[in-house]
This record gives sequence, structure tokens and C-alpha cells, in this order.
Amino acid sequence: MAPRTDAISRRQLLAGGASLAALFALQACSTGEKTETPKGTAGGGDPWKQFSGTTINFISENTSPSAAIAANLAPFEQLTGITVKVQQMELDKVVEKCKLDFSSGTAQNHVIYADPYQILAPMADGLADLRPLLDSGNYPAVDKGLGDFIDTQLQATGSFIDDKKLFALPYDAPTMILHYRKDLFEKYGPRAKADLGFDPTPSDSMTWQQYLAVAKWFNENARSDVAYGIGAQAKQHDALQCDFSNVLWSFGGDYFEKGQSLGLRGSEEPGAVTVGSPAGVAAATFYRDLLKVAHPSSTTWDWTGLADAFVAGEIAMCPNWHEFAAGEEKAFPGKVGYALLPKGPARRAHIFGGTGIGINANAKGDELGAAWLFVNWATSPQTQLMSLGSKVGGGTPTRTSVYELPEVKAEEGKSPSKFPNIRTAETVLKAWQAENIGLRPKVAQWVELDTIIFTELSKMLTRGADPAATMAAMQQQMQKAMQ
Amino acid sequence: MSAGLDTAPRTTLRTRAVPPARAGRARRRARPPRGLKTFEFAMMAPALTVLFVLSWVPFVILIAMSFAKVRTLGGVSLTFTGADNWSAVLGDGAIWASWARSLVYFVAIVGLEMLLGLAVALVLHQLVRARSVVLSIVLLPMFLAPVLVGLLGRFMLDSTIGLYAKILQGVGLGDDLLASPSTALPTIVSIDVWQWTPLVALILLAGLTAVPPATLEAATVDGAGYLRTLVSIILPQMKPIILVALLVRSMDAIRYFDIVVATTNGGPADATKIIPIKLYEFAFRFNNQLGKAAVLGLTMLAFSIVMARIFLRFFGERPSIAAGDGGDRG
Amino acid sequence: MTTIRPPAARSMSRLLVPALAVVIAVWAGLPLLWMLLTAFKPDTAIRTSHPTISFTPTLDNFRNLFLGGNRVGAYLVNSLVVTGVSTVIAVVLGCLAGYGLTHWASRYKRDVAFWVLSTRMAPIAAVLVPLFVMFRGAGLVNTIPGLVLAHLSFNLPFAIWLMSAFFARIPESVEEAALLDGCTKWRRFRTVSLPMARAGIVTTAVLCMVFSWNDYAFSSALSGPDTATLPQAAGALVTQSGIDWGLLSALAVVVAVPMLIAGLAVRRHLVSGLSLGAVTGE
Repeated sequence: MAPRTDAISRRQLLAGGASLAALFALQACSTGEKTETPKGTAGGGDPWKQFSGTTINFISENTSPSAAIAANLAPFEQLTGITVKVQQMELDKVVEKCKLDFSSGTAQNHVIYADPYQILAPMADGLADLRPLLDSGNYPAVDKGLGDFIDTQLQATGSFIDDKKLFALPYDAPTMILHYRKDLFEKYGPRAKADLGFDPTPSDSMTWQQYLAVAKWFNENARSDVAYGIGAQAKQHDALQCDFSNVLWSFGGDYFEKGQSLGLRGSEEPGAVTVGSPAGVAAATFYRDLLKVAHPSSTTWDWTGLADAFVAGEIAMCPNWHEFAAGEEKAFPGKVGYALLPKGPARRAHIFGGTGIGINANAKGDELGAAWLFVNWATSPQTQLMSLGSKVGGGTPTRTSVYELPEVKAEEGKSPSKFPNIRTAETVLKAWQAENIGLRPKVAQWVELDTIIFTELSKMLTRGADPAATMAAMQQQMQKAMQ
Repeated sequence: MSAGLDTAPRTTLRTRAVPPARAGRARRRARPPRGLKTFEFAMMAPALTVLFVLSWVPFVILIAMSFAKVRTLGGVSLTFTGADNWSAVLGDGAIWASWARSLVYFVAIVGLEMLLGLAVALVLHQLVRARSVVLSIVLLPMFLAPVLVGLLGRFMLDSTIGLYAKILQGVGLGDDLLASPSTALPTIVSIDVWQWTPLVALILLAGLTAVPPATLEAATVDGAGYLRTLVSIILPQMKPIILVALLVRSMDAIRYFDIVVATTNGGPADATKIIPIKLYEFAFRFNNQLGKAAVLGLTMLAFSIVMARIFLRFFGERPSIAAGDGGDRG
Repeated sequence: MTTIRPPAARSMSRLLVPALAVVIAVWAGLPLLWMLLTAFKPDTAIRTSHPTISFTPTLDNFRNLFLGGNRVGAYLVNSLVVTGVSTVIAVVLGCLAGYGLTHWASRYKRDVAFWVLSTRMAPIAAVLVPLFVMFRGAGLVNTIPGLVLAHLSFNLPFAIWLMSAFFARIPESVEEAALLDGCTKWRRFRTVSLPMARAGIVTTAVLCMVFSWNDYAFSSALSGPDTATLPQAAGALVTQSGIDWGLLSALAVVVAVPMLIAGLAVRRHLVSGLSLGAVTGE
């Protein structure tokens, strides 16, 4: 296997390199081009029917609105004659699939569940600009116009850096709020109040310190009804970053110098990484203390695991996405209450997990047109109302007009409810106010930063690493990733 | 890479020039020195051509990517950056830690599966009644998709509803095994051991049937000396088949990562982040880090080739294996 | 299996061995049994912190799997096609190449054998990325032929490896006798060697089938919504309103049962197949 072979394999290598170059030259990309606005030929003048007969694919995280839509596609198919196949999977998988699909040069998935942080920001080049479609007279107009979408959500889920482009329309709006078992607090409330000196029932005035104290009290006094006072979503997973962010912001910390202002449109220059600040360390220290009293399996739970545990009656309260309300209502009808998250020294922060749906930039012709009709339909007030009442999930409307419908208003806080997720509406609407909402920085590197954040936190929680050292390591690695 | 890989494509490349029909009629005695214009080689040609395309093209792509910054959105593009990816990967402490973890994982699963597999094989061999029923049950896990095995493990160990978790809680082991860095890796190892010990046992059982009954008899009669007989007499006779089992398992232990993905996906605190998970992260989660993924891929390939070399050196000593004959007479 | 029982094994092993055998069977079988039961449990019997075996069996999980928004039927068809085609190709080419390799008299034989083996050992994670880039250039991403090709990347070397071992077992005298009769090498292969290796072919086919059917990593990176295979459905069942363990168990049953049956059917040959497989090196 000496020099002779080497020469040959070198030649092969060159040949391989050449064919490789040819392979890469195949790329036919359309980045930066204006999205086309194809006109369909079917349907005899009905703009909804013009792409009749087309089949499109919709890839989505397995969220309740998508479950509701997947289970109730018939109205759309009747309206348009378009067949929609919905694929639902965990968010991690959606991110991977989109990355592969956008890279493949073709469009396997036409409609994309574009998580603003994990898909929109890092892969904006793979998504079509929706403005030309919105402005074109070829399609039915968006009902009630863009103004009907809650404005912060339209920006946070739809735009990235360039305000002239719109990549997605707000599709769902999960936001973390405090979920608690009313029945347990009714039973133990008076005793706990006597012991602790304040009303333990979660309310809009609760602080994180009080939350911690109540958790401990439950651990010590309520074992016969519930295993632990609180749980957390502290698996080495995106969920851990989300759970921690609430605490970080409420303690006055943030990931970047430009802080919350990065949440809406995002930026290529977010400023210095500030996560290692004293506020960051204080937040980490508190979060670690919190996890010491939380259900010990918390470090294996993401949001789904936490919701499962809550529904199984393992914990009395926890912060989680509000759209889990529907499942909780099934398990404990009328017994689950919702409140704002506890207050920290600086503010109160509720991480916003809303997502828009957009269109794959590789989609062309009828498929592009059909995808746009679907995006339009899926985010319309009527569809959001339908999702709210769905048996398999329950949507989280992104339109002001839906929350104002009398039939929706009537369901707020009711049990049994036609629209179980609306039980949380009062709390969620407060959580969305500018001073209460928590927004992650929208930067292209977010997935990597996210991984650094939840990995370091996981080390702190499970290996007993020092909070200050944890935040310093996080800061240092995040800086490196931003270079 | 290795010398072994270098020779192969050269031979295959020429294959295409040899039409099978003519090769079939080629003279039998005076073979061309390289054995390329033979009937036998013509038979290998289609398969080797497919394999060539499926292994060498990716290999070259991998090398090219490892020296470049790769963008894939809106068309694939490579910007060559010299050895940047290599120095970044080789200088990354977290990656070395991941290698160490991978080695521990690899040695643990292969070692445990060999030991337990031997134990299971010995028991089954001694079993008089219902041997084939027990064997059938024991074999089942290996036919299950690894990703489902991982999910099944998660289900059995779920601290809220899992059967095994409840049993463990019953005996006072209330901690969630996948939650703590000290137990997560051992737990994943034991899930893998559950799935693949049957295969090792099956192979070793075949080896045991080839050991002369008298030897085994001597071992069983003298209970106290059983272990000694096992180590000093039976195992040496089974050496070739043990190596077979070792090769079969090592091969897949390096390859698969489905179980880890389905259970912890690297956590907690990176305790189960073995190299394939790390690679996956670079390639499919992070932005524009395919170059680093390629570097990791190449180092993994090198590792597996070295392993194969080592094993084949063992086999090289033994031209044939007598064991396993009992198998298909049943 | 030939059972030559050592007569004296009676003494101490009479109780110990069956006891150990039971332990082993429970260890291997219990999780599978539990999965099987879970597949027939209603959701309330699954989501309880007291695992139970008393419940009213239901087919709801299976019904939900194939009806509703889960599209498992389409996945099943893809799985059947990909597994079937890739297995047939792997076995046919594997038989030819395995035979060729066994009888090939060349000083490169060992190198080729090693190269074949090493392609089977290549870590999946390492292969996925370049395979994706290559398939993208060839327009094979998200296609059934692409997936078949991807599965060949591990099944073809495996088939060659195994088949060459089976061919090597055929006594040389048989082969030579055929040649003396005036057979061409091709006829000898077809009429003498191939029939004698029947057990090997079945074993190889079943093992290739199992690997292809159970593959998750390749199909998750290279298949799209229209080409996803059955194990992919597992990911889709981890839903946000909780992991639906009932559905997942039902899926596992659907995925596992065909493989379990096939695997057990060739159990005997499996032993000799796998144990002989490794002599290819020489």
C-alpha cells in the first residue's frame, strides 16, 4: 500500500473533486428573488378554487392547533379542492426536516411551521416573502387584514431584520403561564397561609420567593395528595432554556446587550453577550434553588413531560405553555387555575412561544399558490374559532377579533368549556402586555446558543456546578458562537 | 485513511471495462495477475460498483466538506477555509470529552453484552426442557427497531407511569434513572444490552454446541471448578466464535445512535452526548457547521476502520471456523 | 439444534438452570409483553401512576393509528416497498458478489473483503451528511429509489459478507465435480452452488429485511412527507399533549410483529449464518 497506490488514489480524489464541483454547480437557487404570484387555471373564476386538484404538504410541530387543523381539513378541501397532508413531529425534528428540505433545492414541504427562533431566524433564506402574495390581486384577501393580528405577534413571528419582508403569518401563540391545581390550594390554602404568613394561592402578586416557599410547604405537608409542590421542564432540551428565561428576565438579566428589543424583528448585531451579568448569576442561583425542591424527575421533562406529570397529579403547580390547558381540563375538569408567573426583583416575564406559518421558498407554481391559500385559511378568524373547539387540541388564536367574539368571551374561565384553552385567555392577554412578555433574541445562531444555554444549565442542575461558573461558561461559549 | 480502503476502488474502477460475458469465457488457468478479468470478478462487479458509488463519493464529499464552510440554503456552496474545521474540532475540549464518553459507552455495551451473552448461552445450553421456547423469547428484542427500543425504555422508566420505575421505587430506588448524569449513561447501556445480548447469546450458543460434550460434562459435574473449567478449557475452544460475536456487535455499537436519540438525546449535562449525537447536532441543528460535522465523520470513520483492522488481524490467524455447524441441522 | 446433553448435568443444574432460564426469559420478554398489553389498553389504564394489568382491552389505539391524522397506512406502504426492493437487490447482488469473492483467486481478495466489511462498519452519522449532498445533486432526496439506495449502503455489504460465508461452506469436492462434468462456471453457480446455499439466502434476506425495516436514521434524513417509513411515525406520536404511549405501543406492535415472525422463522439458520459470516476475511 505504498506510494504507488497513493498516486492513484490522489488521481481519484481529483476526479472525485471535479465531479463534486459539477454536483454543486447544479444548484439552481432563487434567493433574493421576489416571490412569484402564480394564477391558477382551475375553478372557473372562483379565486379559492383556482388551484383545485393540487396537493401540498404542511410540516408542523405537534401543537394543538395543528392537531385541530389536521383533524378538520374537510372545510378547506371543500373550499379550495386542494389536498393538504399534515406531518406533525417534535420541534427538533421539524427544524432538522426544514433544514434538509430547504437545502435539497426542491420543496417537499410547502407550508412550514416557522418557529421564529429555530427556523425563521436561522433559515430565513429558505422561506418565501409573503408580501407579494398579500399584495397580489390574484388571491382572496386576508380576512380583516393584517391589522387583525396581534401586532407584537405579527412582528415576532413574521419578520426577520428586514421589515419590508414578511415570512410568516401568526399561527399559534403559546405563552408560559402558571398552571395550578385549584382543588389542592382550596384544601391546603388556609393551613399553608397560617404557616407561611401569606396567601399561597398563585395570583398576580406572587413573587418567585413565595413560589419557592409554597413549593417547599407542599413537599412537607401535602404528600398524601400530591408528590411535589412544583415541577419544572429541566431536561437538557430547548424547554430548559424557555423555563429558565422566565426567571432570567424577571431578575433583570438578558442574553444580549440589546435585550428584549431583539425579540421582535431580530438583528445581526445583538450587541455583547450579557448572560454572565450579576443579574444572570442571581437568576441561575435562584433557578437552581427552585429545582432543588422541584419534582426530582424534572430534569427528564421537557414541556410535554411536565404536562404529563401535571395531568397525572404529580405536582401542584408549574409554569408551562398555556395551550396545555385543554389536556388539563380533560384530566381535572374545572380544577385547574391559571395565573401570571411569579414576579422577580426586576419584572415579570412570560416567554412567548408563538409561531407563524410560512411557505418554502422552493415552492413554485400551483403548489406555491395553493400553499398561500392554505396559509391564508389556516390563520383566518373562522379557522381559529374552529380550532378552539376542536376535540383533539384547541387552538390559541392570534387574532384580536377572535378574542372579542361574544361566544368566545362567554367561555372565559368557564368549566366545562366549549373552548378549554380560552379558560386561560384572561391570564394570557395580560401576559402579552409589553411589560410582561418575554422575548428571546432573534438571531441566526439561536439554535446553537440555545444548545449552549440548556447544556450549561443542565450541568448546573444535575452535576452541581456553581451558578457563577455556569453563567461564565455560558457567556464565554455564546461569545465564541457569535463570532 | 487506511491502506485497505486505498486498494479497493482501484480494482473496482477497472471493473466496468470487463464485460461479464467475455470475462466468463476467460481462460481459467493463466489468470491475469490481478484477477480482474475473471469470471469471479465479473460476478462481483455489479455489487462493487454500487458499493463504490455509495462509499467513495460520500467519502470524497466528506473530505471536501471538512476543509470548507458549507452553506446549504438556496443551493449548496463550499467556501474553502483550509484546516479551520479541523483545528476547531481538534481543539474543542467538549468534543474530546465526548470521545471519551463514546469509548466508555462502546466498551461497556460490547463488554457487557459479551459477558451476559455468554451467561445466557451457557444457561440455555444446559436447559433440557422448553429450550426452544426460551430461546425464542430471548431473541425477540433484537428484531425490534432500535428507535422503538429507546422509546420503550423511556416508557418503562417513566417516573410517573413506568412499570420498571414503579418497581424500582418499590425497592427504594426512587430516582429517575435518565435524570441524573451518573445514571443516564448506564441506563442507556442497559437498554442496549437488553436489545443485543440475545444476538451474542445466539452466536455463542452455536459455539457451545461445537465444544465436545465430554468437556462440558466435566465442567458441570464438578460444580466448584466450573468457573475454572469454563475459563481454562471451554472458552479457549470457543475463541473463534467469540471473536465473531465481538465483531458483529462492535460493528453495530459504533454505528447506531437511535436509542440515545430516543431517550436522552445527549443529556443530562451532556452525560450521554456521544460522538454521533454531537455530529448530528453540527450537521442538522446548527447553522453552517457542516464542515465540523464532516471532520467528526472522518474521525469516526477512521475509528471504525481501525477497529475492523484489529478484529481482522485476529481472524487472519484462523483460516476457518469449525463452530456453528450444529445450527442448521436442528 | 443438535442437543447432545451431558448426562451428569442433572445434579446441581436441575433446579438452578430452569430458574435462571425463567429469569432470562422474563428479563427479555417482560418489556415486550408490557408493550403488547399497553397497545390494547385504554388511555386511562396507561396514564396511571399504578401500572395495572386489569383493564378492558380495546382496539382504539390501532384504530387511531390507521385512521385519524396519523397516516400510518401510507408509511406502511413506503416501508413495504423500500424494504422489499432493497432486500431483493441486496440479496441478488450479494449472492453474485459473495460467490465471486469466495472463489476469487487474487492477492487483492483480502483487501476487497476488508473494504466491503468496512463499508458496513461506517458509522451512520458519518455517512448521512455526504449521502444527503450526493443525493441532492442526483435528485434522489425524498424519493423511494433514494431510500432504497441508502439502505443498500448497509445491506449490500452485509449480504456479500454473509453469502460469501455460506458459499465457502460448500465442500470444494462438490464444486469440482460439477466442473469436471463440463459445466461452465455460471452453470455450476446456478445449478449446484446456489441451491446448496438456500438456507444462507433465506437468512441473508431476513436479516437485510430486518435492518431495512427498522432503519430510522437514514429514512429520517433522506425521506420526505411522501416517502417516510414506519419507524418515522414514532416521532410523530410524541405529541405536545403528551406522549401517546398507547398509540406508540400499537405502532411498535405493528412494526415489530412481522420482524419477530420472520426472525423466529429463520432462527436456526441465523445461528450458522452469523457465526460463519466472519470468515470472509480469509
